[in-house]
Amino acid sequence: MAVLDANASEPVSKGVQSQARTAWTLTAPALALMFLILLVPICVAGVLSFTNYSLGNAGFDWVGTENYERLLTRTTYAKMFVATFTYVVTVVPISLGLGLGAAMLVHSLGRVGDIYKTIYFLPVMATLLAMAIAWEFMLHPTIGMVNRTLEMACGSWFEVIPFIAHGCADRFPLWLGDKDYAIWVVCFIGIWQGFGFNMVLYLAGLTSVHRELYHAAEMDGARSAWERFRLVTWPALGPTTVFVVTISCIRAFQVFDTIEAFWPQGGGPNKSAYVMMFAIFEKGIQQNLIGIGSAITMLFLVFVMVLTLIQRWLVERKVHY
Amino acid sequence: MTRDWWKHLVLILGAIIVLAPFYMMVSYSFKSPGEIDRGEGGFFGRQELMVDERCVALRDPNRDEIAAMAPQYPGLSDNDIRAVIVAEAEAACSMRPIAFNYSKAFTEAPLLRYLANGVIVTVSIFLIQVAVALPAAYALAKLKFWGREAVFGLVLFCLLIPVHAIALPLYIMLAKLGLTNTYAALVVPWTISVFGIFLMRQFFMTVPDDLIDAARMDGMSEFAIVWRVMLPTAIPALLAFAIFSIVAHWNDYFWPRIVVTGNRDLFTPPLGLREFKGDGDGSFFGPMMATATVIVTPLIVAFLIAQRRFIEGITLSGMK
Amino acid sequence: MKLTTTAMVLALSASAVYAQDKVTIEFAYPYSHLFDVTYEAMMPAFNAAHPNIEVKFRATYESYEDGTNTILREAVAGNLPDVTMQGLNRQQPLIEKNIAQSLEPFIAQEADFEKDGYHQAMLSLSTFNDEVYGLPFSISLPVGYYNMDILRAGGIEELPQTWDDVIAACETMKANGIDNPIFWGWNITGNWFVQALLWSQDSAIVKDGRVTLDSPETLAALEQMQEIFTKCYMQNLEWKAALSSFSAGDIGMMFWSTSALGAVERSQGDFELVTGPFPGMGGKPMGLPAGGNAAMLTSTSDDPAVREAAWTFLKYITSGDGAAEVAKTTGYMPPNRAANEIILADFYEQNPNKQTAVDQLPLLRDWQAYPGDNGLAITQVIYDSIERIVTGDATDMKELQRELVEEVADLLPNG
Repeated sequence: MAVLDANASEPVSKGVQSQARTAWTLTAPALALMFLILLVPICVAGVLSFTNYSLGNAGFDWVGTENYERLLTRTTYAKMFVATFTYVVTVVPISLGLGLGAAMLVHSLGRVGDIYKTIYFLPVMATLLAMAIAWEFMLHPTIGMVNRTLEMACGSWFEVIPFIAHGCADRFPLWLGDKDYAIWVVCFIGIWQGFGFNMVLYLAGLTSVHRELYHAAEMDGARSAWERFRLVTWPALGPTTVFVVTISCIRAFQVFDTIEAFWPQGGGPNKSAYVMMFAIFEKGIQQNLIGIGSAITMLFLVFVMVLTLIQRWLVERKVHY
Repeated sequence: MTRDWWKHLVLILGAIIVLAPFYMMVSYSFKSPGEIDRGEGGFFGRQELMVDERCVALRDPNRDEIAAMAPQYPGLSDNDIRAVIVAEAEAACSMRPIAFNYSKAFTEAPLLRYLANGVIVTVSIFLIQVAVALPAAYALAKLKFWGREAVFGLVLFCLLIPVHAIALPLYIMLAKLGLTNTYAALVVPWTISVFGIFLMRQFFMTVPDDLIDAARMDGMSEFAIVWRVMLPTAIPALLAFAIFSIVAHWNDYFWPRIVVTGNRDLFTPPLGLREFKGDGDGSFFGPMMATATVIVTPLIVAFLIAQRRFIEGITLSGMK
Repeated sequence: MKLTTTAMVLALSASAVYAQDKVTIEFAYPYSHLFDVTYEAMMPAFNAAHPNIEVKFRATYESYEDGTNTILREAVAGNLPDVTMQGLNRQQPLIEKNIAQSLEPFIAQEADFEKDGYHQAMLSLSTFNDEVYGLPFSISLPVGYYNMDILRAGGIEELPQTWDDVIAACETMKANGIDNPIFWGWNITGNWFVQALLWSQDSAIVKDGRVTLDSPETLAALEQMQEIFTKCYMQNLEWKAALSSFSAGDIGMMFWSTSALGAVERSQGDFELVTGPFPGMGGKPMGLPAGGNAAMLTSTSDDPAVREAAWTFLKYITSGDGAAEVAKTTGYMPPNRAANEIILADFYEQNPNKQTAVDQLPLLRDWQAYPGDNGLAITQVIYDSIERIVTGDATDMKELQRELVEEVADLLPNG
């Protein structure tokens, strides 16, 4: 990192001084913007979370920790935490697993696998809102493709599966209108959209696993594919995995598009999909309850920062070879 | 090779699920409302002539209009004249579903304007991001000054801040300044990309110092060095960053939803699509799918053409 | 010489016409699926009559709640439209915050306002503190939509008169193999159907500035809803999905506002659609809340030309011409009597389904706004509670009422 000063004969202080001035000029816009756009808003949110401010009101009152107490006691916010964590805990491992699996399959197929890489990456590029609407249409209770296809399975041997039998007898679920299914549908769409991204990251990681490691493992007696995976592939993908988990978690915490598109009001049947980003939008912006909106924002920030710090720490400690 | 068949089977099943909504979206953008309701017609729909009911409703005559037409139809009652007029309207309002869907997509709402806004916003954001990040990255990578470690530490700290978290306070600040519903509101919060600074700094540190010293000896100021020496070497990284930034901001829905309330002139493509979706009338599913197809297509086409670059760009964050 | 003078005169007069500046006003309305057609039908005549006024349409509001939300946000950010359509129950908060402006100055300048069809009963829906703040654009009442093909297949010949009749009909249809007998519009905007059940019992949800959710009538309403949802196995459809399902011919009975009638008739499948009066609790309803929206002036412009143009537009869309289009394209009732001169003489004979709401006009009551600043949040709380009945999450109605009163009390102004 150290830069050798090429012109060692020049008086050091003068060269360094002018460099310093220029450096500050060069970084000034970035610094100013960092303060204005990233740091000041956090402070503003922090301060406002202790008030009952509403945009348009002349003044506000300090209410201490009342907003935070509400967050921890009211059932609405309990549902918010449940929905958010359900989403994160479901989407991250599954999209990671699918991404890894797809990467390994595609990797082993060589050039032929490229077409799958392209296909699986398409959802990542497509505007989530557009695809969510397409999914919503497919999940329409009566004219949607999903329920139509399921109904075709009635009267065939598929009825062995209890879900199908129940559906044929009674009716197939409403998906987005059903409080038991809504959050899982949202999770499914999140996985559908995100696993291609993880797959590509893992593909990059797989190409950097040294072949010799596999040979060494074979010589040590590791015969089956599972053993090779467990002993060589998985540990070698350590840094990639940590990175994928962190990025997926952050993106999962920030989910908003699908929920606002499907349920513009309320956050899902029985608030089962009432995730934090949507709560911030609903409370802070739509209902103009800035105090509680800021409190949710602060909690959200804390969660994500803690997560990222854990990732940094893990990368430093565990995963170096 | 033959033992790979099961891999292909699994991957093909996955591909079907991945492609299902794309297939449906494009297919329904070709179909008439009746075909959508009943789920028939294959991929392209039967393309039979359909009647645009709204168009017919617009031509529903008032009392004085019927009175004006009465001389042409002697002996017919008011209702019969109306029936004739409605029949004429139905004939005039017939069209093929694909024409109906795509023409409605562009006329019900100013879709072209939305696409233009998408381009304006994403390009502005990217250009300003580069203008801000490049000099800062150069200074952090190549210049010595006493606050360097502190500034870099600040950059690392800011990397921790998820951008959506500051949405609410930023919105309050903009509202107080009266800047909501402007292009500035759409663009300004994204102009600082700490990720861009970080990325470029890593890249610049690999640039040999001799290049820079030679430029200095030629009498170039540091500003000139940034734009004439460092920029050309960074083109590949910049390209990847461009793709990353443009894709993210073309598809962004959360921030525009907050900051643009009613002014259609400022709608980005996702907002335009959502306005369409607000329609509760079943007869507009076709145009809605047509709009979705139009919005999604540019990026997908660009992706298919320049796949490698895209994948590089999106997964850029992996290159530590 | 003469030619040149004539030419100059012509040129001058032409430029005088062009010098008459175009005034632009901004306007926003809700429910694009209902009203897009209506405005498309109206605007050609307006543009012909007022070529120097350009109306710029903003993005449509998704619902009345969305409309109020958006206006409140725009008031703070300083970019209100000039004219806005707001739900009848959302007018009061805007007036209290001085966002909507009194129309009295403009009405005073009119020669004979009453003669244009703006009669007292119509204006009273938008009169607060003895001043008129809005001009009603459309009025609706709750009605029942019946798919006669499904009803007959399920063994029902007569339209139900009370909710008990409805439940009995559900059970008969279920026994005859009908899967989807009913959709009851609990999730309609502004807790309208809750207020419908309360007005049916001649009880107001807001009385003397107090929200009366702790009354026995509220308990009766909650229990009635529970009976309908459970005994009829009603699905928790989102209302747009329900409308499109009914239009496609998949639901037997739908209880909703008459407003959607136009849209349903345009997109309906091949079945016989009949509307009937809204059933009552154990008898005919004693009152029903008025639905619909009114045009309000929210212009922040100081330019008198702009304000005049806004008033001109306001008057036009609520005039006979505008109201006639409302009647023709939607199921709403035109508030302006002058509309009856313009639409066909036997319009309602030709459209008996639209007559149903008109027949219920004597029952018309207020669609009430909740006191204080948090009307939208209170609406959401009541919505969430009813949803718990639909999903089966809440089974004890007394308990539900208690929780409801508690949560709403949080959001009311003290004292």
